Amino acid sequence: IEFSADQVDGKEAFGLFDRVGDNKVAYNQIADIMRALGQNPTNKEVNKLLGNPTPDDMANKRVEFEGFLPMLQTIINSPNKAGFEDYVEGLRVFDKEGNGTVMGAELRIVLSTLGEKMNETEIDALMAGQEDENGCINYEAFVKHIMSV
Amino acid sequence: MTDADKFLYGDRSGINDPLAQADWASKKLVWIPSEKQGYEAGSLKEEKGDECVVELFVYFFNPLFFFLTDREDQSILCTGESGAGKTENTKKVIQYLAHVASSSKFKKDQGELEKQLLQANPILEAFGNAKTVKNDNSSRFGKFIRINFDVNGYIVGANIETYLLEKSRAIRQAKEERAFHIFYYMLTGAGDKMRSDLCLEDYSKYRFLSNGKVTIPGQTDKELFVETMEAFNIMSIPEEEINGLLKVISAVLQLGNMVFKKERNSDQASMPDDTAAQKVCHLLGINVTDFTRAILSPRIKVGRDYVQKAQTQEQAEFAVEALAKASYERMFRWLVMRINKALDKTKRQGASFIGILDIAGFEIFELNSFEQLCINYTNEKLQQLFNHTMFILEQEEYQREGIEWSFIDFGLDLQPCIDLIEKPNGPPGVLALLDEECWFPKATDKTFVEKLAQEQGTNPKFVKPKKLKDDADFCIIHYAGKVDYKANEWLMKNMDPLNECVATLLNQSTDKFIGDLWRDVDRIVGLDKVAGMADSGPFKTRKGMFRTVGQLYKEQLGNLMTTLRNTNPNFVRCIIPNHEKKAGKLDAHLVLDQLSCNGVLEGIRICRQGFPNRIVFQEFRQRYEILTPNAIPKGFMDGKQACVLMIKALELDPNLYRIGQSKVFFRAGVLAHLEEERDLKITDVIMSFQAWCRGYVARKAFAKRQQQLTAMKVIQRNCAAYLKLRNWKWWRLFTKVKPLLQVSRQEEEMLAKEEELLKVKEKQIQVEEQLKEFEAKQQQLSAEKQALQEQLHAETELCAEAEEMRARLAARKQELEEILHDMESRLEEEEERAEASDGESHHRRQTEENGGRHHSAGRPE
Repeated sequence: IEFSADQVDGKEAFGLFDRVGDNKVAYNQIADIMRALGQNPTNKEVNKLLGNPTPDDMANKRVEFEGFLPMLQTIINSPNKAGFEDYVEGLRVFDKEGNGTVMGAELRIVLSTLGEKMNETEIDALMAGQEDENGCINYEAFVKHIMSV
Repeated sequence: MTDADKFLYGDRSGINDPLAQADWASKKLVWIPSEKQGYEAGSLKEEKGDECVVELFVYFFNPLFFFLTDREDQSILCTGESGAGKTENTKKVIQYLAHVASSSKFKKDQGELEKQLLQANPILEAFGNAKTVKNDNSSRFGKFIRINFDVNGYIVGANIETYLLEKSRAIRQAKEERAFHIFYYMLTGAGDKMRSDLCLEDYSKYRFLSNGKVTIPGQTDKELFVETMEAFNIMSIPEEEINGLLKVISAVLQLGNMVFKKERNSDQASMPDDTAAQKVCHLLGINVTDFTRAILSPRIKVGRDYVQKAQTQEQAEFAVEALAKASYERMFRWLVMRINKALDKTKRQGASFIGILDIAGFEIFELNSFEQLCINYTNEKLQQLFNHTMFILEQEEYQREGIEWSFIDFGLDLQPCIDLIEKPNGPPGVLALLDEECWFPKATDKTFVEKLAQEQGTNPKFVKPKKLKDDADFCIIHYAGKVDYKANEWLMKNMDPLNECVATLLNQSTDKFIGDLWRDVDRIVGLDKVAGMADSGPFKTRKGMFRTVGQLYKEQLGNLMTTLRNTNPNFVRCIIPNHEKKAGKLDAHLVLDQLSCNGVLEGIRICRQGFPNRIVFQEFRQRYEILTPNAIPKGFMDGKQACVLMIKALELDPNLYRIGQSKVFFRAGVLAHLEEERDLKITDVIMSFQAWCRGYVARKAFAKRQQQLTAMKVIQRNCAAYLKLRNWKWWRLFTKVKPLLQVSRQEEEMLAKEEELLKVKEKQIQVEEQLKEFEAKQQQLSAEKQALQEQLHAETELCAEAEEMRARLAARKQELEEILHDMESRLEEEEERAEASDGESHHRRQTEENGGRHHSAGRPE
């Protein structure tokens, strides 16, 4: 697969994450770099690629761009099976009144307690400005918004 | 519990838990201890794993509700092992009913009945309850309390029936246990006068009180004695009768102090010290010599003659014990009858009733005897009623919903075991065979067991002795489990023989109360009838065949079941949480044991054979739609249709479900499986969504960083440039001169002009808009004006027409007036002419009459 243009972008992005200056990035940054490059891996997938590292490894082990590329490729080749409809259906489960909205608070709980629990910072960044004056979120619009970036 | 557990738990339990789903579970109730009221309603809820969590909820009193709406007779059946709380439950029910169903309008009458009803229990408890190792206030008898209501739902009376009083407790008690409460109340609470009247002695002097003085923590027998006496007063039981009761109790105790010895040279028993006997006779109003003789060598009828049959020491002791037990039992029965009399005084007609059954639950001890057989037999029949009821409910729902369902009558499930016990013949059951053996002269417990094994050996519920450990004689497989029975003394227990000589003496006692107590002596199984003492053939009493304990009980139970079957039964299962009399401690294993004993697990098993889980269409769709994406097309669809499509998409085996009118029914476990899948699916989707969310967040952060990078580069470039230039003299010159140049100023002017232009453009747009507005307004106004003009025009025309019309009418009127005038004048003329001609003709006639008669004669008139 030719992706020299991406590669350039990729290299730049990679460089942006290198805080140490050794042309490498830490294990715990890999997932974010992939996301910055337009992918949406789950933490599980990334961990699997990294060989299920310990928390220690995650913080200390580093990898260079050449090592990172194949990982990225794997992720590109196995995209998310779910799509817009599935997410909307999934969130509809929490729509108690069936009116197209969920309580912002409820969504926070769902995201922070189910699946791969998200932390408060992530959720705050996610939901900034999404709730209406009643604290409700129109989840269809929300999902569209999330998937548009 | 974390939010996570609560959240997921709340979702799942309603559907998964068969206890919660099955309709009959809603009738289950458990009393658990509470500080406030002693007991509160609770429900048993099983969580994952072994832990049982008891939840409190506010329970709407079902039976009363049914009762008030249908006027159908209700029954409340409380079962449970000793200490589980049945009696407390019963008391609460009665308290509640007495409170709720009494009317303040019927002041005196009703209030009294209520009070008496509430006092009935303490009295019965004093005489029928005792402390056991399992329960400080164990009911040693079963009872069925019927509360009768009139058509308006007010209490008119009550009736109590008792079963299976453990009378052996009056003569001996196990370690750490007590005899019936009343013994202790009396011995501790009686005043000096009473003590001497009743010949009461110290605790240690009574042989029948095996453990001497035993107290119950938290209770004072003395106070309770006073309370019991008060209760008697409230029930209007007169002093003589109370005295009679107490005398009997004292007598029962004294009987135990009668000591027999074997005479030196023969088997004949003798009583060296007759102090106890004297006291007994004094209390019971009989002659001591007669009494002694009756005990030591009673007169027995053999054939047609009477013979003095010598009694051995064992026989005498046995007889005295039997006498004590019989006395106590009769006294108890008298008490029940007396209470019933008090509770049934009102004349008002009872229209329906609520019955409360409080009876020992299933009993399985190491070895079990006749008493256990009776109790287990009772519980087997109650369980059958339970199954039958529950099954009917299930079946009714299936019918209502139009489910295709080929049913098995679960009531029959227990019939083999019940037959084993109660069938009279073909082949005869345990009770029938026992009765038979009682009539046979040389029969023993052993021959009974052998016959039983012979007749019922092939019954699947019967296990023959050979296969068991040595101690047990046979084994019955009840619904709650296998029970080993030991047949020792069963013949005796069944016959319950009594020295009829003594019985006759008592019947003729000088004390009215005692005489009353022993009024019927016809059905007594005399000692002579007991096998081993008589020589030949089955004997008859004076009035026909005697009735065994087994027979009597079978009849009593049969009547009870008939009554219950004609009511709407409500089952209350009491569960004892631990065997340590401790509050708040729950022994899971023990509880599960009881659930199997009381048929709850059986019930679940039965329900599972049907379709225990059911869910309304809409709910099913809402909950499980996520498992069948795209199965339901967009747009409105009938709930039932939607579910049909979904089930097809899920590819469920048709045997696992049924579709009804308003719900879908599932076999056990199907919904649980769907729930699991749903959880997985949701988790999957959420995880995937979270990955996207993280992607979103990361990309946004990254974009920001890129901007920062760019910005940084710009700043860096500028700084670098600045650093390079700041000391270059040419640059300095340049920066000073630039602002002075026209060229640079031109740019500024351009900018200014552009701004002006922008402003003007804006203004123009504004003005244009305004113009449009005005035009629009003007159009509107002219349109209105036009409309008004047209309206005016129309009005004018109308007016003109009206005017024309008016003119025409006026002209017409004028014409008509002229005609009228004409007519009038003509009329006048005519009148004048008529007058004139009248005058003429008159004048002519006159002249004719006068002058020409012959003219008129020829003229016909």
